[in-house]
Amino acid sequence: MGKTDSVEQMILNIPSDLKYLGAVDAAIQDLAREFSFSSDAINDVSTALIEACSNAIEHGNRFDPAKRVVVTLRFNGQSFTACVKDEGPGFNFQAALDEKSPPDPMSERGRGLMIMKAFTDRLSFRYADGGLCVELAKHRGDDGPEE
Amino acid sequence: MKITQREIGNAVILDLNGKLTGGPDADTFREVFKSLIDQGKKNVVVNLEKVSWINSTGLGILISGYTSVRRAGGDLVVMHASDRIESILYVTKLNLLFKSFESEEEAVKSFTLAS
Repeated sequence: MGKTDSVEQMILNIPSDLKYLGAVDAAIQDLAREFSFSSDAINDVSTALIEACSNAIEHGNRFDPAKRVVVTLRFNGQSFTACVKDEGPGFNFQAALDEKSPPDPMSERGRGLMIMKAFTDRLSFRYADGGLCVELAKHRGDDGPEE
Repeated sequence: MKITQREIGNAVILDLNGKLTGGPDADTFREVFKSLIDQGKKNVVVNLEKVSWINSTGLGILISGYTSVRRAGGDLVVMHASDRIESILYVTKLNLLFKSFESEEEAVKSFTLAS
C-alpha cells in the first residue's frame, strides 16, 4: 500500500559527476512508487529529474569536483516537486523557456529544456543561495502503480 | 556504458549496456564510429535493449553517430528501445530521424531495403 496522505522530503547532495545520476534515478523511482505514482508518471518524473541533474552537473557546475548538486524531493498525496540546485553562474533561462522553435534535428545539443517541459506539469527557474534552482512539478497520475 | 560489437550481413550491431548520459560515453562512442567508418562499415544498428535511460547529451551522442555514418553513405537505426526511451525520442522529434525497430531482423533488413 502506497502513501497518499503525508508529505515527505528527501535531500540528495551529489558530486558533479554523471555517475551519480543512477542514484538519483533509484531514489526518485522508489519514492514515487511509495506514493502510488502511476508507472507513466514515475518514468516522467525520473526522466525530467535526470535531465535537470545532468544540466546542473554539466552546464551549471561544469563537472567541477569542488561543486555539488543539491536535489530536494518533496512528495505529498497528489504530486511531486523537486528543486535541483547547482553552484554555477546560471543562464538566461527566460529566453530559453520562451523559445518556441525546436533545435535543428541534426544539432547535438539544445533538447534539455524540451525534455524537462514535456515530462513535467510545471517547470520554473530561480536563483537561490548562490546557485540556480530548477523546480519541477508533476501530478502522480490517476491509474496508480502497476504491480 | 559498455559497447559490444557484432556483425550480421552488411550491418554492425552495437549492443549498449548502461546509461547513455554523455561524459566519457561521448568519446567512446565517437571512437567506435570512427573505427567502423575507417573499416568501411557504415550501416549501424544501435541496440538499446539494455539502456535503462538516456538524457539530452546521450541523444547528442546518438546524433553524432548518425551524422558520421550518413556522411559515409550509410545509416544508423535503433532497436529494442524501451517505452521510456521511445517517449524521449518522440518528444524531441528524433523519432523522425532514427528509424526504430522492435526486432533485430527488421533492423538489419532495413539496410538491404534502403540500398
